[in-house]
Amino acid sequence: MNSNRKFLDQAPRFLFFTGKGGVGKTSIACASAVQLADAGRQVLLVSTDPASNVGQVFGIDIGNQITAIPAVSGLAALEIDPQAAAQAYRDRIVGPVRGVLPDSIVKGIEEQLSGACTTEIAAFDEFTALLIDSDLTVGYDHIVFDTAPTGHTIRLLQLPGAWSGFLEQGKGDASCLGPLAGLEKQRSQYKAAVDALADPQRSRLILVARAQSSTLREVARTHEELNAIGLSQQYLVVNGILPESETAQDQLASAIYRREQNALTDIPAALSGLPTDRIELKPFNLVGLMALRQLLSKSAPLSTADNDVMPAIPAANLSKLVDEIAADGHGLVMLMGKGGVGKTTLAAALAVDLARRGLPVHLTTSDPAANLTDTLNGALPDLKVSKIDPHAETERYRQHVLATKGANLDEQGRALLEEDLRSPCTEEIAVFQAFSRIIREAGKKFVVMDTAPTGHTLLLLDATGAYHREVARQMGGSNQHFTTPMMQLQDPRQTKVLIVTLAETTPVLEAAHLQDDLRRAGIEPWAWVINNSVAASAVHSALLQQRAANEWPEIAAVANRYARRYALVPLLQDEPTGVERLLALAGGHSQ
Amino acid sequence: MTTIQVFDPALCCSTGVCGVEVDQQLVGFAADVDWAKQNGADIERFNLAQTPLAFAENPQVKAFLERSGAEALPLILVDGEVALAGRYPNRAELARWAAIKVAEEQAASGCCSGSSCC
Repeated sequence: MNSNRKFLDQAPRFLFFTGKGGVGKTSIACASAVQLADAGRQVLLVSTDPASNVGQVFGIDIGNQITAIPAVSGLAALEIDPQAAAQAYRDRIVGPVRGVLPDSIVKGIEEQLSGACTTEIAAFDEFTALLIDSDLTVGYDHIVFDTAPTGHTIRLLQLPGAWSGFLEQGKGDASCLGPLAGLEKQRSQYKAAVDALADPQRSRLILVARAQSSTLREVARTHEELNAIGLSQQYLVVNGILPESETAQDQLASAIYRREQNALTDIPAALSGLPTDRIELKPFNLVGLMALRQLLSKSAPLSTADNDVMPAIPAANLSKLVDEIAADGHGLVMLMGKGGVGKTTLAAALAVDLARRGLPVHLTTSDPAANLTDTLNGALPDLKVSKIDPHAETERYRQHVLATKGANLDEQGRALLEEDLRSPCTEEIAVFQAFSRIIREAGKKFVVMDTAPTGHTLLLLDATGAYHREVARQMGGSNQHFTTPMMQLQDPRQTKVLIVTLAETTPVLEAAHLQDDLRRAGIEPWAWVINNSVAASAVHSALLQQRAANEWPEIAAVANRYARRYALVPLLQDEPTGVERLLALAGGHSQ
Repeated sequence: MTTIQVFDPALCCSTGVCGVEVDQQLVGFAADVDWAKQNGADIERFNLAQTPLAFAENPQVKAFLERSGAEALPLILVDGEVALAGRYPNRAELARWAAIKVAEEQAASGCCSGSSCC
């Protein structure tokens, strides 16, 4: 029964699993908790996954209170919903003034409190109590979290300047820590929680990744960031690796296998020294105790692939969407989605398919590698390609703010300002500022971008009028009649937002959140694109067939529930680069 | 002692870093508030996004919001009376309200000595 996984060897009190949505953090956290409990320990499993199926896995309702799992002796679980925690926080702040202050003002306050920072801090607050010794936690040998706070949150909590005004006096400057101001806990509790996190004797951080170079690069950044603030006990788990045995049967499987093995060979230097476990792709769904107990085991289980009948969902290709976009003759096309879903590739495919029809297109991307887009510049007469370096833009913005705003601040104030400038919002704004210089071209030609600001950012910028001024300045003295930039983004004839996702549970859920956020800003996403779909490819490997079967319910959810129109893009054998392959990806006429 | 209350608009991150523009006024005002406090002034700041109740419970502030909206903030009360609205006070104004003696440095350069004015 002992699986000899390194990341569970001599496990300390706290285990944190971190990684982007869809890599399997929750499944691995569940399996680890079960294994520790099976070894006779008292274990508490804490899930903050919005798609949490922990209750379903164990066949009971869990929810926001510690619940014993009858099927596993020694195991209890708790589900924290970060969105609900943030909502509860908003209600606490806004509730007393609703109906007292004017509605428009109440709405404005709610928007201020609807950002990612609020959700993150509210979730952290929820599990603070679990990181300190108390009656609540004393009975457990291990507490297993399927998440970890970001470096940004931890650093803020460590900064004395962030606390001074707010939490001790309940007033003062606003900061990214704002959400904590409305909370009743004491600073000493947050300090104890952060200390526990940064104590290698008590805490272990397990980075979960897939064998993809972009994902591994992202994980390397997380590793370095958290290592710098004292979380030195780090392990790496690469999940869902396609076993070599599958390659005999299937060309696509061979290509995936090669790509994954190359990614593992070229693993970033920062990660190569970490104790690493590799978990192979399993031929079963991770539901039920049996499946969980097998997830970490190294012996190959029997295949249980039950070839479900595929539901009949029309698989629209990307080129169909391009037909509709092309009809308008010009406009702004923005692709939006979490990192790693393939926004840049799809933006390039769209741009090439538009330019092929003789339409003028400006493709602009924030692709850091840029080898995809570099090859496209000048490849078609009507296609212009430019790129924006997010790190350079953010750094320039940061330096500008520090030089202007930071000039008069004391040391503590400056440290706090620097940390605020490391928030995810800052990068989003800096990059969008750069993009907004190009947006004005969309009146005459097509502008295709591989990123878009979130609805939250747009609303904040719109509320302050800052966005209007910014774009008005970019538009220069041109005297043409122009509606407000927000109206331009809200008008589907001028702007089309395409949401990009993968056909997996968590990515689809995350994409749905992006959609809700845009709708709050009055922007209706025009279409969804499901990328890298195995279900849309012809596969023979049993494992890939299983994966394809798992995709169908997600594709159905997008088709029937979330999207007004959608396209399904198959997983390809090779990375699509160059005009021909990009056109093939779009499913257009060329091959 | 004189009490100065500053009712700020809703700010998400400290002094508007999250906006596309850095508001130099806010930077200067934060420094002026620090200066005035060190000279013994009693200054409180309320952020609409963090403590809206403070706005709702003060009849003057509430009436101001209903009449002019959140765009018209900031609002500054001195001993409960409206002293200024729509902009932040400069250092000289703070000094006058709080009765801070600023003989040499203020006299020399007139109104423009503070970091935020003019």
